[in-house]
Amino acid sequence: MKLCVSEACQGHGRCYTLAPQLLSSDDEGFVTIRAGDPVDVPDDLHDLAEEVEGTCPENAISLID
Amino acid sequence: MESSVIAERRGTEVTGCPVMHHDFSKTRQMGDYWALANELRETCPHFYNEYAEGGYWVFTRHDAVNDIYKTPEIFSSASITPWEPDPIYRFVPTQVDAPDHIKYRRILNPWFSPKAMEAAAPMIRETCRGFIEPIVPKGECDFFEEFALRFPTAAFLTVIGVPVSYTEVFVGWVDAFFGGFGGDPEGAAGMATALAEMRVFWKEQLDDRRAEGRREGDLFSYLLDAKFDDEPLDDEVLLDMCTVLTLAGLDTTRAELAYMFHHLALHPEHRQRLIEDPEIIPLAVEETLRYYTIIFGDGRKVTRDVEFHGVQLKKGDMVYGLVSGANRDPRHWEHADEFVIDRKKNNHFGFASGPHRCLGMHLARREMAIAVDEWLKVIPDFEPATDAQLFERGGGAMMSLSTLPLRWEVKP
Repeated sequence: MKLCVSEACQGHGRCYTLAPQLLSSDDEGFVTIRAGDPVDVPDDLHDLAEEVEGTCPENAISLID
Repeated sequence: MESSVIAERRGTEVTGCPVMHHDFSKTRQMGDYWALANELRETCPHFYNEYAEGGYWVFTRHDAVNDIYKTPEIFSSASITPWEPDPIYRFVPTQVDAPDHIKYRRILNPWFSPKAMEAAAPMIRETCRGFIEPIVPKGECDFFEEFALRFPTAAFLTVIGVPVSYTEVFVGWVDAFFGGFGGDPEGAAGMATALAEMRVFWKEQLDDRRAEGRREGDLFSYLLDAKFDDEPLDDEVLLDMCTVLTLAGLDTTRAELAYMFHHLALHPEHRQRLIEDPEIIPLAVEETLRYYTIIFGDGRKVTRDVEFHGVQLKKGDMVYGLVSGANRDPRHWEHADEFVIDRKKNNHFGFASGPHRCLGMHLARREMAIAVDEWLKVIPDFEPATDAQLFERGGGAMMSLSTLPLRWEVKP
């Protein structure tokens, strides 16, 4: 599973707060992989990734199996 | 519903859309605004609200509110109060559209970023303890007056570099401003006076930094050196920015704090849960922002004729996305009308959405989390100190209680 963040990211910070193991923020509060390379989601973090997907007010997060 | 007739709108027929006549600036019993939002949403996806001289469209459901936020090119922020399409104030960057908006945000974002707030957290926690400690032995307090009004104000002033001795002055200005913001004509004069006094204060601060030199950790120094298209910001913009930061930063957090502590006062099981598992405090904060959102609705100005969710909008029309309707819309949420303290998939609009999402959100949620954590450490059990009905200020200016008496047992 991979996790992508689109350009719709507005820096709400919900994703990297919920899953610091997967994501982090830049100096303005945007996720660092905004419109960039997807991150690999380890098998034991699939449930967390799904929560992260559902927590973005911009619907900027998508998961690819 | 006060009215549900099909009516004329400035010579154009409003079809298939109920017309109502609601004044959202009125003080109501606590909870009535969320109940009204539920009722409106379940009655019709959109209304036309005839109000004062003009009127505006109200979209009540999550899908439409989401689309309003996500298409700023159609829904301009030139006015965010639909009952006042041409306000006397200009919030920068709140009321600035693309392409300039993001340039202002890029200046301000780093100052209020999660990393900056992480760095400020020990100071915010210290400030918070300073307000709680003298309250504990009293066994009771007006949470709103003695804590919710003052802690976020003092924390905000410290974050921007203004001495906390100005806390009381700022509390007065913010109160007076929001007395008029929601559309109540009786508050208009007080709002104008508060605005004028605030601008004098900011001007003095800016002039001081120009004359006496820049300071570390001082927002004014930072803004004076900031560049917009390689040019320094002019004084008008600087004053507009300072004004909106103050208004947005102080009034809102105290309102959310009071709703959260009202909830905790009535729910010992939730207090217990947060004491046993403080890790979920941030989730409880987000659920507060969803369930007890203080944004009744958010206004935008239509930039071109467009059909939107079955309504023909015209350029210049005002729309109002009913955020309180969206945040509890069962079409979007599981257990929409239930406070789920550890809700994780919580993409609420409590901080708005789209490019204008709340600049101070990382400060606000940190203040709220710290307040809950510190309070529960020393006052784990508390309850409302009165059975009297609580009232909330109208949603036009963002809902807020004006008092919250709490009491607890003092341990010897």
